[in-house]
Amino acid sequence: MADILAVIETRAGTVRKGAAELLSAARRLADASGGKVDALVCVNGQVSGADVLGPSGADNVLTASHESFANYCPDGITATVASLAAKYRAILVSATATGKDLAPRIAARISAACAMDVTAIDVSGEAIRVVRPVYAGKAVQTVQLAGTSTVIVMRPGAYAAAANGRAGTAASVPVPPFVRRLEVTGIRTSDKGALDVAEARVVISGGRGLGDPRHFALLDDLAAAFGGEAAVGASRAVVDAGWAEHGAQVGQTGKTVSPELYIAVGISGAIQHLAGMRTAKVIVAINRDKDAPIFKVADYGIVGDLFEVVPALTAAVKAAKAH
Amino acid sequence: MKIAVCLRRVPDTTTKIVIGSTGTSIDESGVKFVPNPYDEYAIEAALALKEKAGAGETVVVALGSDVVQETMRTALAMGVDRGVHLQGTPSVDGLENARVLAEHLRNGGYDVVLFGKLAVDDYGQQTGAMVAELLELPCATAISKLELADGRASVEREVEGGVEQATCALPAVFTCDKGLNNPRLPSLKGIMAAKKKPLEVVPVAPQAGATTVVALALPPERAAGRIVGEGAAAVPALMQLLTTEAKAI
Amino acid sequence: MGAILPVRHQAPLPADLICRDAPDSEAIELDVLIVGAGPAGLACAIQLAKSAPDLAIGVLEKAGALGEHSLSGAVVNPVALRALFPDKQDRDFPFRQQVEGEAVYFMTASGSARIPTPPTMKNHGNYTASLCELVRWLGEQAESLGVNIFPGFPAQSLLVAGQRVIGVRTVRGGLDREGNPTDVVQEPTDLVGKVVVLAEGTRGPLAQAWRDWQGIGSVNPQIFALGVKEVWEVERPLDRVIHTLGWPLPSDAFGGSWCYPMGPGQLSIGLVVGLDYHDARLDVHESLQRLKLHPLFREVLTGGKLLEWGAKTIPEGGYHAIPERLSGDGLVMIGDTAGFVDVPSLKGIHYAMESGMLAAAAIAAALQSSGTADTCQLAAYDRAVRQSRIVTDMHMTRNMRLAFKHGLFGGAIRAGLMTLSRGAFPGGRIAMPKDAEAPRTSHPAPPFVPDNVRTFSKVDAVFKSGNATRDTIPSHLIVGQDITGEVADFYAHLCPAGVYERHGDTLRVNPPNCVDCKATDVLGPRWTPREGGSGPKYRLM
Repeated sequence: MADILAVIETRAGTVRKGAAELLSAARRLADASGGKVDALVCVNGQVSGADVLGPSGADNVLTASHESFANYCPDGITATVASLAAKYRAILVSATATGKDLAPRIAARISAACAMDVTAIDVSGEAIRVVRPVYAGKAVQTVQLAGTSTVIVMRPGAYAAAANGRAGTAASVPVPPFVRRLEVTGIRTSDKGALDVAEARVVISGGRGLGDPRHFALLDDLAAAFGGEAAVGASRAVVDAGWAEHGAQVGQTGKTVSPELYIAVGISGAIQHLAGMRTAKVIVAINRDKDAPIFKVADYGIVGDLFEVVPALTAAVKAAKAH
Repeated sequence: MKIAVCLRRVPDTTTKIVIGSTGTSIDESGVKFVPNPYDEYAIEAALALKEKAGAGETVVVALGSDVVQETMRTALAMGVDRGVHLQGTPSVDGLENARVLAEHLRNGGYDVVLFGKLAVDDYGQQTGAMVAELLELPCATAISKLELADGRASVEREVEGGVEQATCALPAVFTCDKGLNNPRLPSLKGIMAAKKKPLEVVPVAPQAGATTVVALALPPERAAGRIVGEGAAAVPALMQLLTTEAKAI
Repeated sequence: MGAILPVRHQAPLPADLICRDAPDSEAIELDVLIVGAGPAGLACAIQLAKSAPDLAIGVLEKAGALGEHSLSGAVVNPVALRALFPDKQDRDFPFRQQVEGEAVYFMTASGSARIPTPPTMKNHGNYTASLCELVRWLGEQAESLGVNIFPGFPAQSLLVAGQRVIGVRTVRGGLDREGNPTDVVQEPTDLVGKVVVLAEGTRGPLAQAWRDWQGIGSVNPQIFALGVKEVWEVERPLDRVIHTLGWPLPSDAFGGSWCYPMGPGQLSIGLVVGLDYHDARLDVHESLQRLKLHPLFREVLTGGKLLEWGAKTIPEGGYHAIPERLSGDGLVMIGDTAGFVDVPSLKGIHYAMESGMLAAAAIAAALQSSGTADTCQLAAYDRAVRQSRIVTDMHMTRNMRLAFKHGLFGGAIRAGLMTLSRGAFPGGRIAMPKDAEAPRTSHPAPPFVPDNVRTFSKVDAVFKSGNATRDTIPSHLIVGQDITGEVADFYAHLCPAGVYERHGDTLRVNPPNCVDCKATDVLGPRWTPREGGSGPKYRLM
């Protein structure tokens, strides 16, 4: 019987989104052998938002409280997890910036293997098998993790949150003595300017079909709806016509722009523009011409007037993000 | 100021991945190998720290077979003073590699040990933090800002929704992210000087550890695209697909 | 619409290719500086390192890594490799496969007829190879012998003092489109040496500048062909080396195609066209795309996948275009730079290597006896080349390519007679104008639409060359004068990489697309050296 520990990320005492998905993954592992899932929350004093943890699959919700936990405290959390680790076959963490920072520390402390950015997990006899992307997603690796304990960093969204209601019995666990080697002093807002097209998770590109430079505002609105993870790009024709800055140009010499989501608006797909963005994970095309070559390259397409479709899409994205 | 930089040799990011005959690793024939791009930020940071301190020593440490020496020469050509080649086959288990590195670094008297945030082949993103933990040193990962003053470091790193700030005492371990600096290019003089810089070879034997690669495969083929519908009325269907099927929202 | 005379619109050679500055006080001092790490430059370096191990040798290469700018068909005669590495066997060399069978076809739009293989094209005993792989392998051999190789460092200028070449200055890198420094600037570096070996390959700028400066002409001007090449992964193996003539080229253009087996599951296919073609709309890249749809090639490419694409010019002037002098005070020219290509047999690699080895012998002798490399000493290289198989072979076929200047059929007849008479007929020399002095007129051409399965646009092709040159790079191309809409169109069809586009009646230039084939330098805007690592990144070419 293998019990699983899910280390739930908090910020300013509040459970971060993604907890339910992480517990879903933990449940999958635990249920394979009839084990329990415990959720660990490290805060300074009271935690808020923990009531989602039981319904998402936690048998127990363990709270560790320490004044150093007011900010992210990797040394303290590592010590706490290490003090509990002997009871668990696997320790799960979400692959956020914080989770990726925390997991290797725990693994080294408890002499366990650490699998990073995992998209699927399974139990295989005594071992746990995970699947994870490597070579920038150009290949997929299946890895077997032996040992009495393992640290697994789950890609957010790998497993959807499931209503897997468990008791979520609250308990508090002590924080063992630890040396705070790294002191996090706070989080400030980012002063980065507009996101670079080469780095954005979502790129929305406009082509000649926009008709007029003022219509780029439509794309700016759509980008804004994605809440800071989208950048607006432009086809070369548009940049040369002076409608957009050169920095927005999505490579026409074949430089790879590789966002997770690429939305091509009013771009016919005369490949000038597409040669370098083929590696985008998902391509959406919006064009009034159903025979436009872009539709052969796109995963999903909408044939229609972009002046109607884009505002509708903006509204829909805003609504989705609000949840 | 004594600074160590840990370096990995990786396939160039434009490499076309071909699965090798064992089905667990890539076919390396014809592959161009380069220094791990994230490690270049670490090398540049080391050089800048030594320049700012006015005196000191930078050392590049790399674990691997003999081919890794060529990669180390790039670091030496950029200006690093000497190299240590931990000669042995790296394990697929990050902890085992970290143990070997930590053992070597332990008594080196380093003020700062630098890694790249992750290696662009296995995306393990763990070696640096594990080494720090094994050495019981302060560690900050994925830093995009580093300042030293009076035996302490101030760092920044990107997190969701902002920039996290932290401090720690030296000696410490940092893993470096894009945005920390602009790595200098090796000069011709640097390339020539690199050939004469000391490169010590230390045999090591990383253990297999708890990790086994069962299979390496290419990702499933992209399904043919489809037109979801016409006009604004098709937006809900598109959103549904993007959220559930493509998981892109 | 009148004829376009390309030379009328060309800018002159930039003056800064020859630099009279005193070298920088921190100049790197070596004995021998080789410009270009292709087969000629590396063979020279290896031979020098073996025969004169005390010499400090440096090889500058503009590509970011060895082989990334190297391209050839290729079918290689192993004789030069055997001479350079007498202790190795053929199986030690990075060849792909032995030539087992060959066939030559005359093609029409819908069919093809096999014709007897001309004796000049017989390849028995030769091997197919990737020049990239050969260059990478030669580079490893050179480095193991202590040669300093500097990839990513293009030469900007020859440093001269009086009439002597004393060194090389490298390109300044890291500027933006307006010429301002970016965050990562690379300052030029001076290198000084006792002799500079120019192994720049086809249409090298330094060689042109040096010959201009020293007044070194040739009996005929050098002429060029443009080759566009693709490497394909295929399901069915190709069992023979194939060459074709005829379609898709008009009968007044010289050239043909090849298709070579490159080991199991891979082949190379390409089209070569002489740049003296008469139709301003002729587009070698597009013609290659059409070629792939012809019944002769369709089947072998079915189910296959384009792996890599590239383009490069080839010097085709032959014997009469070899420079009158190949060396001077402090300088020698080897390889394609000196025009050592035999067109009828389509061979240049082993001549390049042999010329490099002959240069090494002369240089070693000069430096070991007097410590200098003067014209009279280096003339030993000139003499050695004239007595070598390089010149003997090229002399035999000296008029063959030139015979085609008036068309395929007359040319074929004359070429046949030349072969039968082993070069004695017609004797003398066929005069030939420079490519840029051949006028061209526009003929309507059907528009080309790629199917993205077998055929691809230029931008897609450039992507497949591995070209990732930064978009903000300053332009390295010098556009001339009076560029009308028609001239812009001509350039757009000339360039296989889509660098040039016609916009209304003006020319738009996309410098980052450039794959350094040099066709532009021959017929259009001047090519000048640019930041190291720019251009294509061939791995299989």
